[in-house]
Amino acid sequence: MEMNQYMSIFIDEANDHLQSLNENMLRLEQQPEDIGIVQVIFRSAHTLKGMSATMGFEDLASLTHEMENVLDLVRNGKLAMNGTIFDTLFKGLDALEGMVQDVVAGGTGKRDVADLVARLKAIVKGDVESQGSGAKAAAQETPASLTLDQFQQSVLIQSLESGHQAYFIEVTVREDCLLKAARAYMVFDVLEKHGEVVKSHPSVQDIEQEKFERSFTVYYITKTDEQTLADQVSRVSEIESVRMKAVDKSSLQEMNRAPEAPSSPAAATVRETAAAAAPAASAPPAPQQPEGSSPRSAPATGGGAVPRTIRVDIERLDSLMNLFSELLIDRVRLEQLASEVRRADLTETVEHMARVSSDLQNIVLKLRMVPVDSVFNRFPRMVRDLAKSLDKKVDLVITGAETELDRTVIDEIGDPLVHLIRNSVDHGVEPIADRTQAGKPETGTIHLRAYHSGNHVFIEIEDDGRGINRPKVLETAIKRGVLTAEAAKSLSDDEVNMLLFAAGFSTADKVSDISGRGVGLDVVKSKIESLGGHVSVTSTFGKGTKFSIQLPLTLSIISAMLIKLGPEKYAFPLSSIVETASVKREDIRTLHGTRIVEYRNTIVPVVSLAELVESPHYRDDGETETEMLVVRKGDKLAAVLVDEFIGQSEIVLKTLGKYLTNLDLVSGATILGDGQVALIVDPNALIK
Amino acid sequence: MAEELKVIVFTLANEEYGIEVDKVKTIERMAPITRVPKTPPFVKGVMNLRGVVVPVIDLRGRFGLPETEPTENSRIIIVSANDLEVGFIVDSANDVLDVMSDTIENPPEVVGGIKAKYLSGVAKVGEDRLLILLHLAEVLNRSEIIQLERFGSES
Repeated sequence: MEMNQYMSIFIDEANDHLQSLNENMLRLEQQPEDIGIVQVIFRSAHTLKGMSATMGFEDLASLTHEMENVLDLVRNGKLAMNGTIFDTLFKGLDALEGMVQDVVAGGTGKRDVADLVARLKAIVKGDVESQGSGAKAAAQETPASLTLDQFQQSVLIQSLESGHQAYFIEVTVREDCLLKAARAYMVFDVLEKHGEVVKSHPSVQDIEQEKFERSFTVYYITKTDEQTLADQVSRVSEIESVRMKAVDKSSLQEMNRAPEAPSSPAAATVRETAAAAAPAASAPPAPQQPEGSSPRSAPATGGGAVPRTIRVDIERLDSLMNLFSELLIDRVRLEQLASEVRRADLTETVEHMARVSSDLQNIVLKLRMVPVDSVFNRFPRMVRDLAKSLDKKVDLVITGAETELDRTVIDEIGDPLVHLIRNSVDHGVEPIADRTQAGKPETGTIHLRAYHSGNHVFIEIEDDGRGINRPKVLETAIKRGVLTAEAAKSLSDDEVNMLLFAAGFSTADKVSDISGRGVGLDVVKSKIESLGGHVSVTSTFGKGTKFSIQLPLTLSIISAMLIKLGPEKYAFPLSSIVETASVKREDIRTLHGTRIVEYRNTIVPVVSLAELVESPHYRDDGETETEMLVVRKGDKLAAVLVDEFIGQSEIVLKTLGKYLTNLDLVSGATILGDGQVALIVDPNALIK
Repeated sequence: MAEELKVIVFTLANEEYGIEVDKVKTIERMAPITRVPKTPPFVKGVMNLRGVVVPVIDLRGRFGLPETEPTENSRIIIVSANDLEVGFIVDSANDVLDVMSDTIENPPEVVGGIKAKYLSGVAKVGEDRLLILLHLAEVLNRSEIIQLERFGSES
């Protein structure tokens, strides 16, 4: 079978399952009694095992298998979770992640898992000798119990009354059966030719998705006699056995009363099926199973209602966006034509199209938005491991994980956040002894928040740790030569805090394995600034520190000022423009060879855009009065002389491609309404 | 066994050249090009190719041939190789030919004023038609541009 086409699906799903395993393991660690979580974990592990085996990743499958064995014992209450088991399972997860990453990188996903497998086996054996396999075997033999709701019962009773036969059928497929779902489907096909399936367990959907072990059961009404039916069904290949039991009225009525008693296995399964049918939350704790009822036949709800999504290649979204912007250009042309033609029905149509296309624009832009959760979700695990290795107690509280950000920003924001969170765990939160001494609770708390505000998304990382020690920061800064002792005295608290982001600065006394490896917060700062964002820090000594990151909602659309130089058009990002004005030629003076102009009582250097871009069509020296843009970089200003202002506009950012790089003056390009390309001037290049 | 190679044929200063067809994305008529400042003279600027901004270079200028004003026949061939997407302005582009790999010979030192390192070979098509095959990776080599930039800033 050609496997390559399934590879990307495998990788995506494997990553999803690993993520869900990680999350649920963490939840379980908080609530070790909750068997529901174990069920969810078990299902993920089981699916992962199946997928890996199908794709031929034996090591992946065998390790998952061992983990599954341990989980199986846990969910059957034969094994209590403890620290060692958690650690081993987490190690197992890490190994699995490593293998999947290897597969992603084109490797074979092979890895020596013998040690881990041995440890997992030891856990299985250590506590419950031989019961491990015994329990499994027993579980498989237990027939799936199956109950009916009132409607189904009345259907069965009525059918019986009208002379039909009702059967309870259990079909078991062979162990080596490769296409269980297909075989099951064939069985259903046979059954449906001769009668009607009233109820099946697991549900038909689950069976179709192979979410069953080796057997499934149905309630069935037919006029065909038992023998013929059994013959027909067992003719389907790879079916091991078919057990049929006639159902009569009295046994149905018996069942009717059963749900009244909540502890009976029947009731449990009724609840089970209800859970399977209801579109539950993403990880519903499966209903607790009474001991001894059939654990193996737990409905594979697969984590409940999976959000109805499809995976789309980001390149396709980009080309959708490109095509859409072409459409916008045509729209502008049409609008122009319509205004020339002046026909009411044409104008009306064009206006309608304009409305539709602006709605479409919103949707296209939204498509690129991803919840920050996709970055946040790996942090709980990271914080847990960090805290453990540092012997600290840390709670990570995440709020606003559903906040959406542009995909390109999401892709880039991960590393800086990892850095800041590591920083908070390592340098922020104190060791337990220090915390008790300071009268704080033993467990430190780190808040990770995300929220929208205006055209920006804010991400905050706040810890209740020791805070920033001003004298120590200053001491280090002076020692590292970041600033002089003189300058240090006049700094405000905020300025001192910002020193943390200075290049080559690290306040940790010891270089630890976790943070402070030379690459400091300066990398975080430059990364965030390259995304058009901003990072700041506030802190109260002894109380805690808060890092706050401000990010643009999207990188692909910015507000810009369009200007003209003769026939050429350029765009300036509005964020860097302070003011537009016009200046008389005689007001531009020369000072030490630099041209300057007085602007609001300050002296501002003058830059001629025409000279900088070597405009072949336009010179500003000839004009008596020139338009100027006052632009800003940090606290420095410059006046840029231009020919003419066109106006303010929302523009879609495009790169110039990889062929043209090292263009210090131009940061990108955009396509204007007339289909032509305009270059975006990088204001930072204008101010030296 | 000789393999068949499909090439797009274009002309440049009365010589015929070929680019493998799978490297060519589209062929466009001349379109408005936006000048990009501080680039080598043969970089004509960037154009809008259905929503994607693509750099355009004049192949005559790239090879040091005298540049001419675009005519009715001028075309922009959009090629993509080494992750780069670039448009070539050529005098005309009008043919797709099958070239047998055994008719391709190593290029002589200089063909039509173009250095051999930009060429991957010369193919004989029919009786007396010679097709010069471009070595795209070398034509798109950026290190040379960087050298040119340096050269430009020093002079």
